[in-house]
Amino acid sequence: MPRISVKVDGVTYDDDVEPRLLLVHYLRDWLGKVGTPIGCDTTNCGACTVLMDGSSVKSCSVLAVQADGSEVTTIEGLAADGQMHPMQKSFHEEHALQCGYCTPGMILAATDLLRDNPNPSDDEIRDGLEGNLCRCTGYQNIVRAVRRAAAEMTESAAATDPKEARV
Amino acid sequence: MSRLDAWAKASGEARYVADMVLPGMLHVALVRSAVQHGRVRRVDSEQARAVEGVVGVFTADDVNRNTYGRSVRDIPILAGEKVRFVGERVAVVVAESRRAAEAAAALVEVEYDDLPAVTSAEEAIAQGAPLVHDAPWEYAGAAISQEDGHNLQSRVTEGSLTEVEAALGGAEHVVDRTYSTSSGHQGYLEPQACVASVEDGRVRLWVTNKSPYRLRTQLADCLGLDPASIEIEPVLLGGDFGGKGSPMDAPLCVELSRLVGRPVKLVLRYVEDLTATNPRHPARIHVRVGCDREGRLTGMALRALLNGGAYGGFKPLADVNLHGIEDCAMAYRVPALFVESTIAYTNTVPRGHMRSPGAPQAIFAVESALDELAAEAGLDPVDLRRRNLPRTGEPSSHGTTWLEARGLETLEAAVKHARTEQPEVPPGWRHGEGVAVYVRGLPGPPVTSVRLVPAPEGRVRVEVPIPETGTGSHTMVRNRLAAELGIDPEQVEVVQVSTEELPIDPGVGGSRVTVGMSEALGRAAEAWRRGGGDEPVAVELRPGDSAASAPVVCYCAQVAQVAVDPVTGQVKVLEVLSSVDVGDIINPAAHQMQIDGGAVMGYGFACLEDLFEEDGQFWAANLGEFKIPSTNDLPRLRTVLVEGGQGVTSANVKPVGELANVPTAAAIANAVAAATGCRIRDLPITSEKVFWAIEEESAR
Repeated sequence: MPRISVKVDGVTYDDDVEPRLLLVHYLRDWLGKVGTPIGCDTTNCGACTVLMDGSSVKSCSVLAVQADGSEVTTIEGLAADGQMHPMQKSFHEEHALQCGYCTPGMILAATDLLRDNPNPSDDEIRDGLEGNLCRCTGYQNIVRAVRRAAAEMTESAAATDPKEARV
Repeated sequence: MSRLDAWAKASGEARYVADMVLPGMLHVALVRSAVQHGRVRRVDSEQARAVEGVVGVFTADDVNRNTYGRSVRDIPILAGEKVRFVGERVAVVVAESRRAAEAAAALVEVEYDDLPAVTSAEEAIAQGAPLVHDAPWEYAGAAISQEDGHNLQSRVTEGSLTEVEAALGGAEHVVDRTYSTSSGHQGYLEPQACVASVEDGRVRLWVTNKSPYRLRTQLADCLGLDPASIEIEPVLLGGDFGGKGSPMDAPLCVELSRLVGRPVKLVLRYVEDLTATNPRHPARIHVRVGCDREGRLTGMALRALLNGGAYGGFKPLADVNLHGIEDCAMAYRVPALFVESTIAYTNTVPRGHMRSPGAPQAIFAVESALDELAAEAGLDPVDLRRRNLPRTGEPSSHGTTWLEARGLETLEAAVKHARTEQPEVPPGWRHGEGVAVYVRGLPGPPVTSVRLVPAPEGRVRVEVPIPETGTGSHTMVRNRLAAELGIDPEQVEVVQVSTEELPIDPGVGGSRVTVGMSEALGRAAEAWRRGGGDEPVAVELRPGDSAASAPVVCYCAQVAQVAVDPVTGQVKVLEVLSSVDVGDIINPAAHQMQIDGGAVMGYGFACLEDLFEEDGQFWAANLGEFKIPSTNDLPRLRTVLVEGGQGVTSANVKPVGELANVPTAAAIANAVAAATGCRIRDLPITSEKVFWAIEEESAR
């Protein structure tokens, strides 16, 4: 069995895994990271989305061996030093969740979206989250939450940007 | 004020049934029928038993042979002599891991002798059709008798057909049309799951079920257990929409845990959820409706025929029917009304409840027919509705005089706001506006129980019997109790407790939670204040304890704006505006999401969702092919709240959860007809259907 070394939520794990083991099962069954749920099993719903080296992936369509050598962030590792990530905070404050099953994937997909486009329009947010399904909310507050997080993250980036500080 | 559970859900701390682990827990995988209808000749489990980690392979011979159900008890725990639909549970593997259980399940060989099958309701009720059940009237809770006809789960009629015939005979304009809707699914994202532990005769269950107290009774009835020996534990549900009200696989898991002497866990694969649980009834609805010269309705006859699938036990009402069909004409004055709703047994997946059961289908038919009648009579569709909405003080078509009838205000608000901003239509596309109206009554008198317990630092702990399904019900409880006691919501803790802790509750559903909880919390708060807040206070509302609810209804009118590409038939729903009749609102954000989520679900029903049923099987067996709306499909949503309504309880509330998903399909169909002159009477409204309808129209 191949040996993999993966850093998940800041901790490095070395494990011998079957080549066919899916990343989502590795996270849930081996590491106990059950904050990452499984919805559709077929890569359509996006509930199991995690970040792999910063990019969002549906962990049901990635093999654990493909994650070898990479850094994975699940919803459980997104908050830094007990501080909610701005995206988590926005979902919280904008009521952007109901049953919560899509929420981890939605938050992580939205985080990746802002990495590529820090200031997206509503259309760009909708386009970027197309692969994450939510049956409860009607998506209105989710789009609002991403917009709010974008504004907050841009603001705080500006505040800490040394070039900006010199002005 | 944010949701109680928002942080847990945004941080990944929330735990669902699939996340549960018990010491010594085993895993379950099901072997499902590959044939529609057949005798089980042989189940060969030899190879399956040889798989490493397999603890046992079981068939109907090993488990209790009693049947179960929410009302009629016709569902076997495992199929015995015969299977009745593709996907039915025939055998089951219990193993040390889910992977071993699934691998072994694939190796179980079942041989069948095929029987002739009926896969549509029309076939099922035809003379001489093969029987799905030999004597369905013999099941406990059956709603039919032998004389009613064969393959029937239920037939409900209301009103006099003779009177309607007379009324239609004298009508100035009559339309006679048939509408149909596809098989759909609730589309919750969390698969159905169950963890069961039987130890020393005590049953403990963690299950994706929203009515734990009823589940306890259903299990006790089926398995012959003392209800007191069964404990349903609190859980968080990952969406429901009507799909999580049945015992589903809980009786099987209890039997398995008893057989293997260890806890067991079953989590369905989503393909099983889509094809083998309890999706929405497809319907064919025949409407005849007439009006006089002024556009006043004179009579309506509606006959619905629904495919109920192989078992009726997933429907909770005693008549084993769908109240949304029975209430189809409630929004209007209809002097002569006849409604017949027939639900047939077929060799297809059993059907259950989905958000306002029956109403999306029936209102699609009625509200489409009203537009067709308006066209026939040369009237504006909004005008036709204006002339027929009852005013306060007038009885509705079902004979009840409501406390207030705000249909007209709700409709006027919808139309006024919709027309203040015209949406942008792509060049060359045709624009259409469509309107539809729905009214919903209140659930019956509140039945539930709660307990208030003093907690440290002056806090109050509220123990509730209902799981949080995602609607924000626990947050509503917190806000409501804080308001009743005049304290900061932060001082209130809300916990769902197990069925050991409280006496009674009918579960989440029927838009009853806010109403029932408001009533119970109002009484609890009063007792709490009287007692000074030092002692626990328990409130129990049993059937008959409360007077019947005031005859309160809530209206919802929607206006859809569509653009249709006449070349390809593509339909873009540009906007859905919902106008909603409301009383006071406890949690505005949660209330709004019921409207937003409802309208989007209504849009999915109208334009996208179809399990592609053919020969008793679903071809859209994953969420890629069964298309629920994604962010890119969304129409613009707008809401108008028609405030100042008289609700019920001291909180003055009206239900909202099963409202905005209902009229959307008709509003969109009416808009498409306005844009193209083509009437789509078969949901979903796909580009292909519109394209061919336009072709046909232009050939004429």
